[in-house]
Amino acid sequence: MQTRGSSAALSLRGLSKAYGPTLAVDRLDLDVPRGSFFGLVGPNGAGKTTTLSMATGLLRPDAGTAHVLGHDVWSDTVRAKQLVGVLPDGLRLFDRLTGLQLICYSGLLRGMDRTVVTDRAHELLEALGLAEAIGTLVVDYSAGMTKKISLACALIHAPRLLVLDEPFEAVDPISATTIRQILEGYAASGGTVILSSHVMDLVQRLCDRVAIVAAGQIRAEGTLDEVRSGMTLEERFVDLVGGQTDVGEGLAWLRSSSD
Amino acid sequence: MVALIVGLKWQLLRNGLRRSTPQLVGLIIAVLYGMGVLVAALSGLFALRFSLPSDAARTAITLGGSAVVLGWAILPIIAYGIDETLDTARFATFAVPRRQLVLGLLLSSLVGVPAAVTAILGLATVITWSRSLLSMAVAPVAAVVAVFTCVALSRVTSAASFAMSRRRRGKEALLLMMLLLSLGFGAATSSVMKQISSPGLLQHLADVLGWTPLGLAWAVPADFADGAIGAGLLRLALALVFLVAALLAWDILLRGALENPRATDSGGSANGNKGLGWFGRLPATPTGAVAARSIISWRRDPRYVASVVLMLLLPLGLLLPAFTGSGNVWTLAMAPAAGFMLGWSTHNDIAYDGTAFWGHVATGVSGRADRVGRLVPTALTAAVLLPIYAAISCALTDRWSAWPALFGMGLGFLLTGFGVASVMSVLKPYPVPGPGENPFGAPPGSSALTMVIQAVAGTAVFVVNLPLLGVGMGALLGQVWMGWLCLGMAVVFGSGTLALGTRWGARIYERRSPELLADLSRIR
Repeated sequence: MQTRGSSAALSLRGLSKAYGPTLAVDRLDLDVPRGSFFGLVGPNGAGKTTTLSMATGLLRPDAGTAHVLGHDVWSDTVRAKQLVGVLPDGLRLFDRLTGLQLICYSGLLRGMDRTVVTDRAHELLEALGLAEAIGTLVVDYSAGMTKKISLACALIHAPRLLVLDEPFEAVDPISATTIRQILEGYAASGGTVILSSHVMDLVQRLCDRVAIVAAGQIRAEGTLDEVRSGMTLEERFVDLVGGQTDVGEGLAWLRSSSD
Repeated sequence: MVALIVGLKWQLLRNGLRRSTPQLVGLIIAVLYGMGVLVAALSGLFALRFSLPSDAARTAITLGGSAVVLGWAILPIIAYGIDETLDTARFATFAVPRRQLVLGLLLSSLVGVPAAVTAILGLATVITWSRSLLSMAVAPVAAVVAVFTCVALSRVTSAASFAMSRRRRGKEALLLMMLLLSLGFGAATSSVMKQISSPGLLQHLADVLGWTPLGLAWAVPADFADGAIGAGLLRLALALVFLVAALLAWDILLRGALENPRATDSGGSANGNKGLGWFGRLPATPTGAVAARSIISWRRDPRYVASVVLMLLLPLGLLLPAFTGSGNVWTLAMAPAAGFMLGWSTHNDIAYDGTAFWGHVATGVSGRADRVGRLVPTALTAAVLLPIYAAISCALTDRWSAWPALFGMGLGFLLTGFGVASVMSVLKPYPVPGPGENPFGAPPGSSALTMVIQAVAGTAVFVVNLPLLGVGMGALLGQVWMGWLCLGMAVVFGSGTLALGTRWGARIYERRSPELLADLSRIR
């Protein structure tokens, strides 16, 4: 028990959450090994965001446990939160702050030293290509810039585990490349990354381990090749999750040639 | 298309209610309140039918009607988006012909409690005008014109204020307008109250209003009842011209919103302030960081700016009686009122964060830092204002001995308000307009819940301060030593409540910060 808890960077056991009658996450078990680059894929509404929120202390589970590097997120909260960097999806930021101020805010909230925070913030802004937007209010940032500044906020305290919910959504290719390089560097130096996405191609290129989630449960989990089992990730995904219907001769009116 | 848009509004209203019970309760209270107003007004209209001179009916209906039109026209300025369920910008991507959109949105505005009440009252004037066949026939026509004028005017003001609020300068102008309106309202009521005794005045006022866009349509049936057919027809024609003009103005504003739906000002960039700003000035602790963030929001977020300026000016409104010569007793209340409002105003602070609050949850910041840090901007404001307000009161009444008592009561209200608010704001945040993005976001029916929470917070602060008020009153009645006692009590008792409140609030915060975040995502 103890060994399992400490060997995994993130360990979820029997995690459940219901919204009214709808079961968003259903007794989900998952282990993310240390140093892995982990991709969580699933259709919309599969429970990815709910799972990641419960794993990071943003949403209280109805049942089950979440451990970060051996620390229980829901009883040893403060220690667990110190080890995690979070980038949630669909939540606001304090967007009346400038980019620099927002990063510093995340650091200062964690009780970090001001000079350390400012130095790191400048480095992060430089690395993310946001140096020119340093004094611009976050509310005036583009979608890609907003994702990058959120990533900077998640990295400021040098976490051991990064939990990123849809880090590439609405991000242009150039920003995506920047984010990818930073994440790859982070993982190469021993950090653990878990990200959710429904861009299969990207997960295939980036991650070494993958889990497919549907209807609040893990359908397949393992190394990329184990999960793919000979197909592309996208084929395997559609295969597992189902729901693909043959369009065939329907929607004939949509084809201009039929006119 | 038009029917589709009206149906959409109805659907939105119904689905909104399915989301939560408090909202349903809110709507029921709104309906009950509307019914109360309706019954009272209907019986008034019925009584006017039998009033001896038709002059009384003319005066009452023109005045009342003008007030209703004026209310519809200015309400969107004071209460953001009283009826913006269908935000025009959302239609930008659909190729709806603009004429149909205008008609659809206009008719959809009629779906809702306020519009229904107005429409029923308008049509009920037929009862009043059943004195002659001619006036009875023309009354419903005039009423329809009047009701549409109400709705059209409110759309014009909300579209105009939306267009203005997208620019920084416009925002400031809008704020100023709100302030002048609220101040002007106070002055107007007090002077009307004074002159209500002179009988000719109201009739005279009605005659004037009857020829302004506000009262044109309402005065039409009265002309017909008096046999002045020509004047009545002229009024009706003018009312129609005005209605068309309002619709055209709205059409033009809509064009702006549709062609440029997401244009927001970028004038918000921190000019010249390239560094950390307040984060560099306050202590580099979690509490200091929360405080710095709050101060920045106070300065840059229009929602805070609006409420702060209103809070500052409302106590200043107490100066009005002193200048209109109706005694200056009320000016003594300035410092206590300001202390009360400032302390109490922090009771929903977390709601203004919206889901950005996740930053506090994810970093695991302590409840104490969150609770105490948020109070700092208000505390700084009060530190400047309360002594000055107390001094102004003393200067105007020429009673400097009253200063300790006045300042003491203000301080007591402020500190206990902080204490109560520190607990309240982690218990039940209620909906507020979202930051900048769509200021018309408050869901319908939320106002009743809002009022209940505000009332509970206000009553709690007041009750806790009753002993202090007693001593303060004693001081004002002549026992100077009681003033110093009051100030001392305020310091001891107030800081005690503050310490207790922030500690209790911090405990609740630490226990249920994820639940708070869930609440905030739900009411967003």
